[in-house]
Amino acid sequence: MGLLRVEGLAKNFGAIRAVDIISFEVRAGEIYGLLGPNGAGKTTTISMISGLLKPDAGEVFVGGARFGSDPQQAKRHMGVVPQDLALYEELTGRENLEFWGRLAGLSAVEAKRRATELLEALALTERARDAVKTYSGGMKRRINLGCALLHRPPLLLLDEPTVGIDPQGRANILEFIGRLRTGGTGILYTTHYLEEAESLCHRIGIIDHGRLLAEGTLKELQERLGGDRVFVLEADFKDTSPEAWDGFHERFRVLQKSECQLVVAALGSRDPSACLKDLLNLPVRIANVMVKRPSLNDVFLQLTGRDLRE
Amino acid sequence: MLRVLLAKDLRRAWRNPWPWLLNLALPLCVTALVGLAFRGGGEGSGLGRIRFALVDEDDSPLTGFLRGATSQDRGGKYLEPVILDRAAALRQINDNQLSAVLIIPPGFTRHYLTGSQRVNLELIKNPAQSIHPAVLEELLGAVVTALNALSRNFQSEFPDWQAVFEGHRDYHQVAALIERAGRKLEAARQFVDPPLVSYEKPKPAKAAPAASGAGRSRPGPAFNLFAYLLIGMGGMFLLFLANNGMNDLHRELRLRTFDRYQSLRQDLWPFVAGKVLFTVVLLGFSALVLFGGGAVLFAIQWRHPLNLTLLTLAYAWFAAGLMAVLVALVPDERRANTLNSIGGMLLGLAGGCAFPTQQLPPLLRDHLSPLLPTFWFTESARALQAGDGHLAWAVGLLKLLVVSAVLIGLAAWLLRRRVTAGRRA
Repeated sequence: MGLLRVEGLAKNFGAIRAVDIISFEVRAGEIYGLLGPNGAGKTTTISMISGLLKPDAGEVFVGGARFGSDPQQAKRHMGVVPQDLALYEELTGRENLEFWGRLAGLSAVEAKRRATELLEALALTERARDAVKTYSGGMKRRINLGCALLHRPPLLLLDEPTVGIDPQGRANILEFIGRLRTGGTGILYTTHYLEEAESLCHRIGIIDHGRLLAEGTLKELQERLGGDRVFVLEADFKDTSPEAWDGFHERFRVLQKSECQLVVAALGSRDPSACLKDLLNLPVRIANVMVKRPSLNDVFLQLTGRDLRE
Repeated sequence: MLRVLLAKDLRRAWRNPWPWLLNLALPLCVTALVGLAFRGGGEGSGLGRIRFALVDEDDSPLTGFLRGATSQDRGGKYLEPVILDRAAALRQINDNQLSAVLIIPPGFTRHYLTGSQRVNLELIKNPAQSIHPAVLEELLGAVVTALNALSRNFQSEFPDWQAVFEGHRDYHQVAALIERAGRKLEAARQFVDPPLVSYEKPKPAKAAPAASGAGRSRPGPAFNLFAYLLIGMGGMFLLFLANNGMNDLHRELRLRTFDRYQSLRQDLWPFVAGKVLFTVVLLGFSALVLFGGGAVLFAIQWRHPLNLTLLTLAYAWFAAGLMAVLVALVPDERRANTLNSIGGMLLGLAGGCAFPTQQLPPLLRDHLSPLLPTFWFTESARALQAGDGHLAWAVGLLKLLVVSAVLIGLAAWLLRRRVTAGRRA
């Protein structure tokens, strides 16, 4: 059974459709990645799930129960890590943890004990007595994450938890999240980093302009392209149109076309060398050809017609 | 829950106290500056002793008597005469060590007693000082009046007195002279004590907002300008401090800690109540520093400390409630800060915190000011300090508490509405 189930969630801000009827599910022990560029509607979705925003339509179910029927009970089941550092910088790391633990309903003794455990797990014991304002970006991110875990929530909502930190800090956080998942926590993880979604998430939902365009495992999403190879052709495509090439659309799917580049995926399970031969025989003078495994960016490219990194 | 929220906010304020300290230091500084400029202490606390030089160039028993009188009894409490020669006195006044120099010229006693020629006392005032030399001039005027009165009433005795001062009379003659003077003084006493003509300062017709109890209360310290000013400054700056405290709600919205709270708790009221409580606690502490510090710094004797404390606490609730409403109404932190400061200043000015409301235009004074909580606080507190208003302070307290409850309820409702609608700072 899903720890979190979202059905037909929608939210408008005036004339802007921030989230456009999306549905998905997060199961126990799973990391579900919500991948999309900035402004795609990821944070709005998390805000509605955690009760910070009232949806215009749709329902959220936490632990099988409708969120609206008992919001406090639903909130007890989840820990929310906001994208911004929601910390009191004048307080120490330990004081922050203990304070949020008390608000989550722990006794003073329990909050203290959990804070000690988390400080150790997050490798922050040595700096526990220092004010958060003296921490590095990575350390602040770790405390920000820890503050949502005091009450051991079975469901964790992470809104871009690694934004703006160095690779080492990111690796530490991703490793910690991996351990949480191993412990059975269901995690909804929003990100615009392809690598994180590819390496961390079991299932991925691709979101853009508030709409969930596709979801599935990485393999399932790659298969949407029609094969496990993508070809990047460099040539002068200014005055050419793939539609005019005889039989091209039966064998390849165009993912992206610009004046100097054409990205295509091979349809069917043909041999890469045969595909390459076909491409080199196209009626254009090819300057370069690159063969690669399809990435999430290629999937995004195919779904939206633009690069996720743009 | 409230305890946890309060402890967190107090800890944060303790770690970053500068905004609070600044708003605490300012009213004390303003009170000191204004108070010292106008010299408003009570029971001698303001003027201090007036140091002046007495140059006795006559050096007679009569001038010796005058010299001694200036430093005796009540004179000694206010005056600090130093006996110097003319050169030393002029040197010290040039160095601004004296407020004035009073010179008794040679032959003063002889000319005064014989009436042989007009006598003059010479007063040199220190131009670098304003009040002390003026006070001395007035005092000297009174002495001159008294000497003239004596010369008119005792002129017939003066030759004998001159002979006494010159040592030409024995004790029997001196005793007879004193007895005669005593009889004359006895006869004059009915004209002098009580005085035939006197004046009485009229009592203000409207000792607002107090009405009764005046005059029956125990006698207290004289009017202390510092106390008057500090109550007003306190009224205004407690509003600014409340703005500082309640604006923390904006900071919590900006820092997303409010979002985090909401992701954990469904009930909003503890968060708002915690912030109001935090503001009230800090305002209470600030008031203690302001009024307690004022008592130490400016020698203010608060006549009804318990009543003043209750009144101040009620005012703190009002200030916190008012600022909570403004924070809830204005979603932008900077704009809210500016508006709250302006609002606090206007409320303070119209409520008599900076100037007495009697100085305000009639429309404000008669129709608007009496409706303002700042007015209820300052006028009630000042009435308490003046010994008036035994009932008025309780009425002021009650009004403040009612308005506070309404404001806090309104703020909670507005914030709930704003949060439910998904609007944020």
